[in-house]
Amino acid sequence: MRLGLGIFGMQSVPQRPDHHVKLYRDVLEDAELAEALGFDSIWLSEHHFWFDGYCPADIAVAGAILGRTTRLGVGTAVMLLPMHSVQKVADDAATMSRLGEGRLTLGVALGYRDAEFDGFGVRRKDRGKLMDVMLPRLAESCAAADPPVPVYVGVATAIAAQRAARLGLPLFADSTMTPQELREMLDAYNAAAASAGLTPPLTHALQRDVFVTDDRESDWAMLLPELRYMRRQYGGWSLPQEPDETIPSYLQRLESDIEAKLKNLIMGDAAYVAARLREFESLGFDLIVCRSQFGNLPRESLHRAFEGLSRVREAVSP
Amino acid sequence: MRIGLGPIALKNAPRIQLESFGREAVASSFDAMWLSESRAEGVGGGLAAAALLAQVVPIRVGAVIDAGLYHPLHLAEDIAIADLTSQGRIEVLLRFSPEATSRYGASTARDWCDDFLNVLALALSGAHFQWNGKHLKVPARIEANQPAPERLALNPATAQPAVPIWIQASDMWMVDLAREQGFGLARNFEPGTRVPAANGRWTGMLLCPNDVQPAEALAAATDKGAYFVVAAETPAQVSSAGRRLAGPLRMPGFPAWINQQ
Repeated sequence: MRLGLGIFGMQSVPQRPDHHVKLYRDVLEDAELAEALGFDSIWLSEHHFWFDGYCPADIAVAGAILGRTTRLGVGTAVMLLPMHSVQKVADDAATMSRLGEGRLTLGVALGYRDAEFDGFGVRRKDRGKLMDVMLPRLAESCAAADPPVPVYVGVATAIAAQRAARLGLPLFADSTMTPQELREMLDAYNAAAASAGLTPPLTHALQRDVFVTDDRESDWAMLLPELRYMRRQYGGWSLPQEPDETIPSYLQRLESDIEAKLKNLIMGDAAYVAARLREFESLGFDLIVCRSQFGNLPRESLHRAFEGLSRVREAVSP
Repeated sequence: MRIGLGPIALKNAPRIQLESFGREAVASSFDAMWLSESRAEGVGGGLAAAALLAQVVPIRVGAVIDAGLYHPLHLAEDIAIADLTSQGRIEVLLRFSPEATSRYGASTARDWCDDFLNVLALALSGAHFQWNGKHLKVPARIEANQPAPERLALNPATAQPAVPIWIQASDMWMVDLAREQGFGLARNFEPGTRVPAANGRWTGMLLCPNDVQPAEALAAATDKGAYFVVAAETPAQVSSAGRRLAGPLRMPGFPAWINQQ
């Protein structure tokens, strides 16, 4: 099993604001640490026009990380492909794969936030059709690049997995999916690949919220505000307020979503986390991208979690 | 006066080559090193490559970008992130290439360029803006996407208060557009050419061959200064150009005997 670190959005969050010059300096230091600790890769996330400055241009950050490191892989988790020019993404990726000596990986997905689609003049409702057109073009261009750029398809539903299966592309599964949901999605994926006459990839990537600690109680108190911010933000984007919904009832609905998703966090000592991650490996996920940065954690706490995770890495991929 | 190295073509350039040019550019006292994408040939990533190079060299880094091919907000975002990762050392030269435009299936219309540059300038200004042009409406206010804000802002903003951007203009209307938007102007060196007039805080840029002589460069400069970007194909050419040009372009009356030592 390979372990990646991520996903990084370089956000200046309300509970711990920082200037973005510092946040980008920090992520470059994090990448150096990830490389020194022997991680497989570091992964970057993309959103647009959000007040906290959520990173909107992953390949530009990837370029900086590739410049700062020599061995570490760098991936996008995930690039919101229907909002982009597929030709631009393919041309950017090919150049950076060459300069990065084959260390760049693209994870791409649909996107879901109306305001982002609107900014780029794309109808959100067209995102599936756009993906059907863009993904084969991207996959073809990335396969022809020298070195080739691996492409993963970000998924949270069977429909998205089936789209990837028809192209024989591996999955990058969402962090909030339960093992049962992952099994069902892989079944749908494998069936779609078989229908298309393709032999699908045997392994896939998965994102999980993970925090390695020997002091669960103290770290939980530190993490909770950051986790709640992150989950409220994603929840607010994917479950927007309905026109006839009052703010109190909307917040109540959001809160239920937050509480449900907080339960996905894998938190404990290295042995516990290693055992939990092996469960996902047995499902067919050989690359697990572990998110320990929720919002903007204190640097010392984050690095302690990375070091804990490096003990997990030694246990699961000796 | 300022001197930059390049632009070094990204096509087929391995990282090791960029690093060796970068080391020589620093050792030879260049103010900046420039890279050039070529989307007509499938070579993109100019700003990502500049972000990479900025981790390798301590000087400013420039990216020659094929403009008008995709949504200007993506270009503004690439500029902002490259500027942040480089701690505020990014410079940009935009050019409108017919060959790249054809490959991307983009418009060559004048009013598309107008929309493109207006949206780019607004996005980089830090404003909460909206734009209603002939080709671009930002935000688009598509009914199916609602609710969405009436205005948007580029987040995060650039590290520099204003990222220096030049345009290599081929037509007078583009020169006027660049001036209107506060971008600098660039042109290729030819014997007898003058550096384009400064626009606001940005001096004109002249893209020079490697063998440009100090006297020629100084004759081309204006009272508002100049930015000479000097080509090189080998590290040795970087070194010789830096040694030849740095002193004379930085000090009026530079004594010739210094370079004879």
